[in-house]
Amino acid sequence: MSTKPEGRQAEPRNIYRFGAFVLAVVVGVTSLSGRMFYLQVIQGQHEDTAANAPSTATQSVPSTRGLIYDATGAPLVKNVVSYSVTVTPSDLSLTEKPIVAERLGSLLGANAVDIETRIDSASGSLFEPVKIADNVPVEVERFIEENSDSLPGVKVVVIQHRQYVTGPLFAELLGYTGQITQAQYDSLQGQGYSKSDVIGQNGLEASYERLLRGTYGDVSVALDDSGKAIPGLVTAHTPQIPGESLTLTIDANEQELAQKALQWGLNGSSVPIAARGVIIVENPQNGNILAMVSLPSYDDQKFADGISETDFQKLLANPDQPLLNKAIAAQYAPGSTFKLVTGTAGLQDNPQCQFAGNAVRSDFNYCNGSFNDTSGAFNASTTLLSQPFIQIGDFKFWEWDKQGWGPLNITQGVAYSSDTFFYQLAQMVGLDRLTFWATQYGFGAPTGIDLPFEASGIVPTNDWKLKNTSYPMYTGEILQAGIGQGYDAATPLQLLNAYCALANGGNLWQPHVVQSTKDSGGNVTQIQPKLLNKLPASQQTLETMRLATRAVVTTRHTYNLVDLPIKVAGKTGTAEFGNIDKYGRLPYHEWFVGYVPGDPYNGDFTKPDSQLAVAAFIYGADTWGNVATEVVKYYLMMHFGLKGDPFNIRTPGYIQTWTQRVTNFYGSPNRD
Amino acid sequence: MSILRGETLKLRGWAPKAGWLAWRNYDFQATTYAVLLTIFGLVMAYSNTVGSTHESVSLDSPFVRSLMWAVIAAVVLALTTVFDYRWLRSFAWPLYLVNIGLLILTLRIGKGTGEAVNAARWVTIGGFQFQFSEFAKIVMVIVFAAYLAYREESAKSPWTIVGAIVIMVPPWVLVMLQPDLGTSLVLVALVAGMLFMSGASLFWMGTLVAGVAGAVPIVWAGLRDYQQARLLTLFNPGSDPKGAGYQVHQAETAVNAGGLSGKGLTNGTVVLPVQSTDFVWGVLAEELGFIGAMVVLALFALLLTRLIICGWRAPDRFAMLLSCGLATMIFFQVFVNVGMVIGIVPVTGIPLPFISYGGASLVSLAAGLGILQSTNLRREKPAW
Repeated sequence: MSTKPEGRQAEPRNIYRFGAFVLAVVVGVTSLSGRMFYLQVIQGQHEDTAANAPSTATQSVPSTRGLIYDATGAPLVKNVVSYSVTVTPSDLSLTEKPIVAERLGSLLGANAVDIETRIDSASGSLFEPVKIADNVPVEVERFIEENSDSLPGVKVVVIQHRQYVTGPLFAELLGYTGQITQAQYDSLQGQGYSKSDVIGQNGLEASYERLLRGTYGDVSVALDDSGKAIPGLVTAHTPQIPGESLTLTIDANEQELAQKALQWGLNGSSVPIAARGVIIVENPQNGNILAMVSLPSYDDQKFADGISETDFQKLLANPDQPLLNKAIAAQYAPGSTFKLVTGTAGLQDNPQCQFAGNAVRSDFNYCNGSFNDTSGAFNASTTLLSQPFIQIGDFKFWEWDKQGWGPLNITQGVAYSSDTFFYQLAQMVGLDRLTFWATQYGFGAPTGIDLPFEASGIVPTNDWKLKNTSYPMYTGEILQAGIGQGYDAATPLQLLNAYCALANGGNLWQPHVVQSTKDSGGNVTQIQPKLLNKLPASQQTLETMRLATRAVVTTRHTYNLVDLPIKVAGKTGTAEFGNIDKYGRLPYHEWFVGYVPGDPYNGDFTKPDSQLAVAAFIYGADTWGNVATEVVKYYLMMHFGLKGDPFNIRTPGYIQTWTQRVTNFYGSPNRD
Repeated sequence: MSILRGETLKLRGWAPKAGWLAWRNYDFQATTYAVLLTIFGLVMAYSNTVGSTHESVSLDSPFVRSLMWAVIAAVVLALTTVFDYRWLRSFAWPLYLVNIGLLILTLRIGKGTGEAVNAARWVTIGGFQFQFSEFAKIVMVIVFAAYLAYREESAKSPWTIVGAIVIMVPPWVLVMLQPDLGTSLVLVALVAGMLFMSGASLFWMGTLVAGVAGAVPIVWAGLRDYQQARLLTLFNPGSDPKGAGYQVHQAETAVNAGGLSGKGLTNGTVVLPVQSTDFVWGVLAEELGFIGAMVVLALFALLLTRLIICGWRAPDRFAMLLSCGLATMIFFQVFVNVGMVIGIVPVTGIPLPFISYGGASLVSLAAGLGILQSTNLRREKPAW
């Protein structure tokens, strides 16, 4: 209820209120005019030219990405074009939407309501195209292009896909292409990349990105005033240049054999910790990689097609790191295979003989022919006593079989893979020279192979250890460094490449997987092998080491590898890592690096003419017997077409796991 | 409160004075300015039609439709001029109820178009699209005028303000539900302007404004995301270059491009969103330049002057409030529409009176102007 104030009737026409109203209008119109004056007269003249845009727009025309072939010329990757249908909501009026959805539905065989829902539920700007369908057939693409008038807002987007013909076989080599990341875009800006570009993300697709991509072209397109390109009005044109194609040094068949051998080994070893393994085949004469398999692998096609988040997370969560090319990007302790370095150092440097004084028995050591002769220098005929252990302070450094073989020269030391032999030799050589020779063999630095994400490995030095732990290298650690344990770490490729240098007479080649490139004009460029280093070792030293690695095979340290009709030399390796299990053992990796002479059947290892070297690596193998050796043997048998049965491959059943074996017998495992 | 009040049917009410004498009071100036503004609107519709398609004008084009709406508006103007405005006072409350009914209908069957796809604003009847919220504005002018004229005796009471707000709330809520922020703001402006002109207590109005200002954070939370975004981009236009900030940026580019004398009709090149309605000022400024824009602004100023004069001379309080309400509506819409294009007020979907393409807006304005002329014709001497 309102109460009416006595005698206070509202003024019918209040001059002040009318005045205020007029004032408001005057202020309002004046402020609008003032702002218009500022925008159009003061500012307008300066920005006149800029405001005339955009009457044309530059669109980039993607170039065809280069293909990749194997050594025999068989394609490993194809470019396939797929069509996606998109709808831009701002170009589609509300009244037309159900009609267009209906038409699209019948065209794509989809539900019209679903299509409408898809358009309506899209987040983001109305100017942003909403994807309706992927991989539509080319007839549909043509139909939509021809009937664009009756399908407003509907566009067909052409998407170039990579199709990896061989499936996951070459995944870690070829890699995959994918959407450019923000960081990549930032660093590549100004080199013709757009924010929605596709770029090589891994493998050769990444390392040869620049060659494979080619050069994008430019087209200037006239725009109408709603910002749409007017078809046919192309006003300027820079042609695109197709990317170059690559030919690999790898024959897809060899790759398949290598993968088969490795998978056989992994399956058979009943690996309890992890199913990781690597096999690499290289030609020692020029660094050509002939096969490179890292298991487990992944399906790079999924990435090329756009991997789903769940699949990607699954790959990332897999402890066996399928996305990592473990042949080059992971580093492990090389174990006894590293005795190549210690042995070479001993033969080359001829250090003053000195014997571990507190060893159980040092009376069998002799330099230059006489017992306990410490005056001479180490050489090929020097005998060191292999013994159950070498004691440094309170620590005992054990022989791998905890017994020793008595006096051994270097050839025998390598053949039996005697740890105590190389402990003593490492102590004589000293850390600095050990580091020097490791570096000469290519350890501690990336090989520079034409694949991305290569690890550099570790060659421990005093400086390195001080920097990382603030303690110097202890004597015991130097002994361990001499047998590839402790801080030593190498990638499988580094190790193989070092043995290649041994096999070819001292040339450390840079390994590579691309043999030649071919540009769009058909000009072929051969990749020239690059010499990384010439070992400062005499041919005699290298020959001694080669014969020593052959002795590994002939002493049956590698069991029946010697029974093959081809001649193989090599070195096994076992490296401990991780935590002690319930049997008091550490889990261990197994290695084998082997090579065959130029004439595999009749040649010998005095000549540096090897054409084929193979390295196998099994992570966390739990076998009684070196499964990596069996993998290499199986590969060689398939490579040379040797039939399996007569030569008694140690089948996976024969290479029992430690866990099976230990129930029957408890003793030292095969620690070579 | 008497809802319905019968007017005595007098012949003089329908034909005041002796024929020609009545036309002495007809405000030819106001009508002339309105017609000139409508012509500008048609010119812009033509420019938008030809400019966007590069084709000849078809029967279905915005230009032809605008022409048709202009003819309808002329008829509405004539009819409302002849109609005795005092009857509107009687029919204010039925009109109010019909208005609410139409707004509910819009919510039920209305559709959005173009960028406002998810809004429910347009109702299609017989091939024509109506935006009943446009009619709602003019109806609310009549309803507020009737209410405030009725509350003449207690104009200073705070309850007058409360009553006006109670009347405003139902249509306001219905408009907000569409959602149509622009029209809902116009309704608020109408309440404020007409209360002010009715002589309402400034103290209580001030108190109310302070109270609303305190409630802003609460209301903010209730706004739709895109409405929040639009308000926010006023303060930081660069934050969303393809959304609301993009509109402001493009609009300013267009205005800049116009310069002093403009690029000429149909020569505008800057791409503007909804350039025939909400952003028509951007096109006008680009094509006609500063000079053309000033002519249009001057026409608005002159028309507003005539409306205020009309209110000053009004024969009764109802007529005075009708004039002031219409003036408030036009002024508010011009200020907000132009202001948003040139970046001094947030982007809200408010059409520019007479210029923006849209039949409902034009017909509503014609009805409003006709009612004013009706009060002019029936002005013998002020009732007070």
